[in-house]
Amino acid sequence: MTFRIDRRGFVAGSLATGTMAGTMALFGPGALRADENKMLRFGLSAYPPSFDMWASTGTAAGTVKLMIHRGLLSYGKDGLLRGELAESWDVDENGVWTFKLRDARFHDGKPVTAADVKYTIEQVAAPDSTAFRRSQMALITKIETPDDKTVRLTTAEPIATVPHWFANFNMAILQEGADKTSTVGAGPFKFDSTERGVKVVVTRNDDYYKPGLPKVAGIEVIVYSDENLRVAALEAGDVDIIEYVPWAAMSRVEEDPNLKLDTVPGPFMYLTFNGSRKPFDNPLVRKAVGHAIKREDVVEAAFYGRGAPLHHLPLDPSSPFYNEDLAMGWDFDPEKAKALLAEAGHGDGFDCTMLSTAQYGMHQSTAEVSQAYLSMIGINVTLDLPDWSTRVQKGNEGQYDIAVMGTAAESNDPDGMTNVLDGSQKASFVRSFDISIPAINEALAKGRQSFDPAERKKIYHGMESTVIDQSPMVFLCSRAQGYGTAANVSGFKNLPGQLTFQSGVTLEDAMFG
Amino acid sequence: MLRYIAFRVLIALVLVWLVSTLVFLVLHLVPGDPAELLLASGNTAPDPEAVAALREQMGLNRPIYEQYLTFLWDLLHLDFGTSLRDGASIGPELALRLPRTLELIVAASIIAALIGVPLGTLAAMRAGGIADKITSASASLALSTPVFVVGTAAILVFAQWLGWVSAGGYVPFAEDPVRHIKLLLMPACTIALGLSAVLMRMTRASVLEVLERDYVRTARAKGVSRRRIIWRHVVRTALVPVVTILGLEMGTLIGSTVLIEYVFNWPGISGYLVRAVEARDYPEVVGIVLIISFIFVFLNLLVDITYALLDPRVKLAK
Repeated sequence: MTFRIDRRGFVAGSLATGTMAGTMALFGPGALRADENKMLRFGLSAYPPSFDMWASTGTAAGTVKLMIHRGLLSYGKDGLLRGELAESWDVDENGVWTFKLRDARFHDGKPVTAADVKYTIEQVAAPDSTAFRRSQMALITKIETPDDKTVRLTTAEPIATVPHWFANFNMAILQEGADKTSTVGAGPFKFDSTERGVKVVVTRNDDYYKPGLPKVAGIEVIVYSDENLRVAALEAGDVDIIEYVPWAAMSRVEEDPNLKLDTVPGPFMYLTFNGSRKPFDNPLVRKAVGHAIKREDVVEAAFYGRGAPLHHLPLDPSSPFYNEDLAMGWDFDPEKAKALLAEAGHGDGFDCTMLSTAQYGMHQSTAEVSQAYLSMIGINVTLDLPDWSTRVQKGNEGQYDIAVMGTAAESNDPDGMTNVLDGSQKASFVRSFDISIPAINEALAKGRQSFDPAERKKIYHGMESTVIDQSPMVFLCSRAQGYGTAANVSGFKNLPGQLTFQSGVTLEDAMFG
Repeated sequence: MLRYIAFRVLIALVLVWLVSTLVFLVLHLVPGDPAELLLASGNTAPDPEAVAALREQMGLNRPIYEQYLTFLWDLLHLDFGTSLRDGASIGPELALRLPRTLELIVAASIIAALIGVPLGTLAAMRAGGIADKITSASASLALSTPVFVVGTAAILVFAQWLGWVSAGGYVPFAEDPVRHIKLLLMPACTIALGLSAVLMRMTRASVLEVLERDYVRTARAKGVSRRRIIWRHVVRTALVPVVTILGLEMGTLIGSTVLIEYVFNWPGISGYLVRAVEARDYPEVVGIVLIISFIFVFLNLLVDITYALLDPRVKLAK
């Protein structure tokens, strides 16, 4: 018995399928595009995990902070310190810093005064503070406010890097008495609304202290967690700027006539070691690792060639602290690596584990390339690739032999690498575990206290050669960090080097055309 | 009847409590400290004192039994607590996001049913024929292609090449109904693709089985028209198991639309769950899992009760 379904019956049954296709076809090209208005649309990689303005809650949150708030200083497009709420700053012979405030107003119309700066510093240094700058602000022993527009800061020891403390986006000046989550700032944009996890909307602050800025009506910040969708959104014209352009898509963005790619070499990848157990408690073994890995292959595999090999400290050749003679400190030389291993008594090699994460492709690829090269000098690496959160915890607790890490320094000054280099601090996943080289820690302290550029250059030269010699960690490569914009967006700029994550400060200049 | 329902409701409530307790405990065993993770989001080493202060503020240094009791007490007051990260109330957040995921699932199910059932019927009618082979092969292909591949391809074609729709996103229906539906269509169709394949196969098998039944032959013999036999007698009967499968699949989809929500930037409950887990935001994770298990358990309960009502052979007594 065969049944035949007649045409009418089948057509009726699958009518929905046809309707669906028809409806899709009816929506003509561009019908979904937002109306052309002057709101800039920014595709962010994550929703700010919290609005605690002083806590370090990541780049995405930092970009939003830079729309709403301003600190005393910031970094300009040239990467140099520039005044924001402070119009000038100076230090006297005793190391007392004086900041002169300009006539700036908070979004509610109240002027920014010395009392607000004092309040901010005190809050950040408070015992229950969760602020990023907590330990630095705690070094300030006296805050004087001789008048409304002057703040004088005294530290126990003279410190040369104080201005950098106040240029970070986690050091926004909030109004006296304000909660740390306050969105009433003195920045170029006023907080308008937010939908948690989805978007943040800010509008132009017409009373911003820089005349003529900002040049757009506001910014609609839309969160795109998926990097591919973020690029797709830029390509489709749904957003005007995106951060964290994935390396795989950089060429595509670059070649698209409707888009622009703005990359800087800055953030870097490196290997950390567990110094609390054999064999990486031995500097010779660590140095062997430094000579064993061909950096070019890491750049190729993890970053599609968008990066540069790093055989020394992550200091750009353009930096005044760059040391030509140490540039190839950890040159790729498997024979030297083997000799170092033999000298350390590990001529036959050994087994160890390498901690990385499967959550981020660049971390995993870096681990895989390193694993391959280490096997060539007899080090058999087993990869441990948990999710990022677990990886952080394991790093903090030293549950690894070698680990892959990537970060950016706080600034382009060598002092900005303290976080990574100073092993005297409490254990952290960004540093090697239980490896503290006194010469390095002392050099960092001395460099902070010296006001003489020539002397600082000498101190950091000595430090870099100790780093290469003792290899408390081994640097692998710098990676290009990229923003993508529509071709008609100008003014926004990726800040040079380690400052790339602070680029949100230039949104005040962003404009169409 | 009432006793049966009361008993099943009780069991369901115990199940939900068990699930939430289990999740609460397991979460605390997973490595990762929410305070440390939050302050290390910039990949910088956080100040240890700042982390200690934050742990205190998050209430994480209280003994775990105390945290658990607080959680239960709040739950009895229908209070899901607040996010560890930014202190946002979790209840309203769930109320906002759950309907979006449900909308996605319902839309996908409707589309899947509208595609799968007619095609399955057609395949059964022409069992062994070309149409059957083509639909079966397509179903295999649809089933074996992961949603993120389909989703990404759909974005490439419809958003980037053709420019018909935005590359993902969400607009509330009240704000812009047309745009809302356009944004809903791509993710819904992507889920529907795999789902329709399941329904198509189920329908095909079921229709084939019903076609062999005596009453169909009797109807034929009585001269009932072909169309009437198929749509009134065969398909209707054959749909019962298909509906059951669809119900089960819908239950599973709540909480497993993660990839779709991720790929299409759909701010539903699955994506919310993933981010909460990544940040080890304990109250958020527990709250989301609780609501998902609640829906799942009570959907099943509803199915059981419906069966009991429909089919007198199902015993109501336990």
